Amino acid sequence: MTRSAKLTTGLVLAGLIVLFGLIGPLLTGDPATIRDIGLIPPGGDHLLGTTITGQDVLAQLTHATRGSLWIGLLVGVMATVLSGVFGIVGAYAGGVVDEVFSLFSNVMLVIPGLPLVIVVAGFVPADQRGTWTISLVLAITGWAAAARVLRAQTLSLRNRDYVAAARVSGEKTWRVICVEILPNLLPILASQFVFAVVLAILSEAGLSFLGLGAADSSTLGTMLYYAQNGFALQREAWWWFVPPGLIIALFGGALALINFSIDEIINPALRDKARRRGDVVATTPVVESGDAVLTVHDLNVVYQGASPVHAVKDVSLTLRRGEILGLAGESGCGKTTLAYAINRLHRPPAEVTSGSVVFDGIDVLALDPEELRRFRWVRLSMVFQGAMNSLNPVTPIRAQLQDVLRTHRPSMSSSDREDRCAEVLRLVGVDPARLGSYPHELSGGMRQRVMIAMALLLEPQVMIMDEPTTALDVLVQREILNEIKRLRDELRFAVVFITHDLPLLLELSDRIAVMRDGEVVEYATAEEIYLRPQHPYTRRLLASFPSLTGERGALL
Amino acid sequence: MGYHLRKIAFYLAALWAAVTLNFVIPRLLPGNPVDILMAKLQQRGGSVDPAARQAYETLLGTGGRESFVREYFAYLGNLARGDLGVSVSAFPAKVSDVIGDSLPWTVVLVGLATLISFVLGVGLGALVGWKRGTWLDSLVPATTMLSAVPYFWLALILVALLSSGLGWFPLNGGYDVVLDPGWSPEFLGSALYHGTLPALTIVLSSVGGWLLGMRNMMVSAMSEDYVLTARAKGLTGSRVMVRYAARNAVLPSVAGFAISLGFVVSGSIVTEQVFSYPGIGSKLLQAVQNNDYALMQGIFLVITIAVLGANLLVDLLYGLIDARTRDRSTVS
Repeated sequence: MTRSAKLTTGLVLAGLIVLFGLIGPLLTGDPATIRDIGLIPPGGDHLLGTTITGQDVLAQLTHATRGSLWIGLLVGVMATVLSGVFGIVGAYAGGVVDEVFSLFSNVMLVIPGLPLVIVVAGFVPADQRGTWTISLVLAITGWAAAARVLRAQTLSLRNRDYVAAARVSGEKTWRVICVEILPNLLPILASQFVFAVVLAILSEAGLSFLGLGAADSSTLGTMLYYAQNGFALQREAWWWFVPPGLIIALFGGALALINFSIDEIINPALRDKARRRGDVVATTPVVESGDAVLTVHDLNVVYQGASPVHAVKDVSLTLRRGEILGLAGESGCGKTTLAYAINRLHRPPAEVTSGSVVFDGIDVLALDPEELRRFRWVRLSMVFQGAMNSLNPVTPIRAQLQDVLRTHRPSMSSSDREDRCAEVLRLVGVDPARLGSYPHELSGGMRQRVMIAMALLLEPQVMIMDEPTTALDVLVQREILNEIKRLRDELRFAVVFITHDLPLLLELSDRIAVMRDGEVVEYATAEEIYLRPQHPYTRRLLASFPSLTGERGALL
Repeated sequence: MGYHLRKIAFYLAALWAAVTLNFVIPRLLPGNPVDILMAKLQQRGGSVDPAARQAYETLLGTGGRESFVREYFAYLGNLARGDLGVSVSAFPAKVSDVIGDSLPWTVVLVGLATLISFVLGVGLGALVGWKRGTWLDSLVPATTMLSAVPYFWLALILVALLSSGLGWFPLNGGYDVVLDPGWSPEFLGSALYHGTLPALTIVLSSVGGWLLGMRNMMVSAMSEDYVLTARAKGLTGSRVMVRYAARNAVLPSVAGFAISLGFVVSGSIVTEQVFSYPGIGSKLLQAVQNNDYALMQGIFLVITIAVLGANLLVDLLYGLIDARTRDRSTVS
């Protein structure tokens, strides 16, 4: 189901049940009237049959639905207010208030709710157990989970720039909360409210079923209580027992559908995606060329959607053995998409619409999934942008390095694997003792070195490096670049080096391709680009960076 | 403070809160529980000597004759000795003995059902998230619908269909009453047979929550860079799914165990009632129906301690599966 279909189904179903509870009681007569026609099946005068004492089940059902909805609403409102106070206010105030509120919420969260409600209901004499008492108890035991979610969200909102700006400019606290923070929390509040309503209706039904519900109201739970005590199921009077539970289930289901839609608004990643097509929809015949290890010919990549984005347009590149090819361009120019497409790592909605990628005689775009898997990392490895997140945070470095060997060199003994991992770490200047470390225990530069070591494991012919040093400080960046050059000279692999930093490429690369809006606008040796840039965009790029050597200033 | 110390301190605070709540509730609510209890006791032929009355007053309040603080410490003292009072409904058994007899039934039933439900929900959730855009997507609304069904209603329908209708399972009880409770294979087999349907009810009603949570986290994890790296490494699909995506996506489900366990325990109390299961949930209701306040309080306390203990255990295990928490200094 699409999001709008889910939302519509949920809203219609919930709306019908609310109408049933609101208007139904006006149309169905007195639910308490006792007749001497007990347990007649549905039909005729009694659309849903009668109870054991001859009461009309439909009339009971409408009144009970109203009762349950009312309690759900009461508890929903109260619990949402409580969670707002403890979650939002606490997180916004910060400091001791936050500590205390959050401790309180967490304690309330781990104390099991229904047993507490049962004990409280057990102490209150039946004649004093009204709708409000029950609702209050349910609200008090049901707000804590929502408060925790709201607190986390408020904490992150609190640190956003516009909220900080409002606070610095001296706006009153309640105004900042109401104007800057609450509107952003609305989807979460809505989903927590919906959740609280469902939970309240379920809990109330459970309490009433146990005979501990509100004495002054009839709900779906009390109906089930009487049905159970009248042995409805044993007498096969399903029309008495099934409908109340079904209404609860349908209402809960409807609200769940609404919540799915709210979740998808909060977290766009959850939205339904188009059915997967192949990642390559068409290719053009392979073009071989001499001593090249990697040839990209007329490659086109399109992000399919309502308005398709043509991210890579007719790109042709040739990478010779042992060469460093620089790929330059501003962010969003398609250079990362190109890099991913070469290894077919691009994900839907991105598709290769035409062109060819040939790797040392292998037609990459024609590989089946298993062949592609065997090709990756063995022939071509990658070092991604932002080493911070490229390593799995929950396993040690060792496991992530050994994974590669286990998969691609299954016959290797475990001591050989260990030796190889230590060897590549030494190659990039990381102490092999670090194999047992987790990524968060390493510095940014060290993590990037580990990624490069990982890329070296299988001695691939080509390494694609996507902004490998962007997030690092200048000194570390310099060290790593020197390392890459040294390793390339030693091990003779070719590199595709992607960055927005053209001056850096001038120093590092043999040849450079300048990309703009998905097209390669200039493709020449580093020397040519430096001395005789042809395209105006290249000249602008060169001018906009202060040169590493200081010869070319920003004011050129 | 270290991760473990902080966790233990938190659960001690929660335990203190629960104990105090247990003390305060009967004193704040209307009604005079001690008088009701004494009347009940008399009906059952119990001795109504001042000592019995005093014991109940320590538990439930003296109506203002003693100071709150003295009552509180007397109550804490009794708890520390494991003295929870005498049950009226099972007179003259001690509350601690009644609980001791019924607790194992619930721990095994709810424990096993929760474990099965967690493993099933997390496993399916990981698969549904991984295979997004296939028919598996329909599992999400289907299981969520099941979570919206009241436990007891589902239980009764299952009993009507599978026990009364088809005769596959016994109608109620925890074991065949002709057998002597013990470790004999017949008795264990019978207990297993009787426990299947209650456990099935709990699993069906709670699996949806785990599945949805895991599926959503899986979807988020799949867009993380480390999953992209894993794919680029040419690892097999199942390895990427399990070791990279699911391994990370499962963390919030484990961390959120506290919330879910509360729901499961609440639901299973009602389920026990439906099946007349000899566990602590049935005993709690029996206590409520008989105004057996001492038993009621004792059971609430034991349920709370069990839930807190389970959570503490999960939290300590969490430190093992996510190394980052051990090094973090703030309470989350």
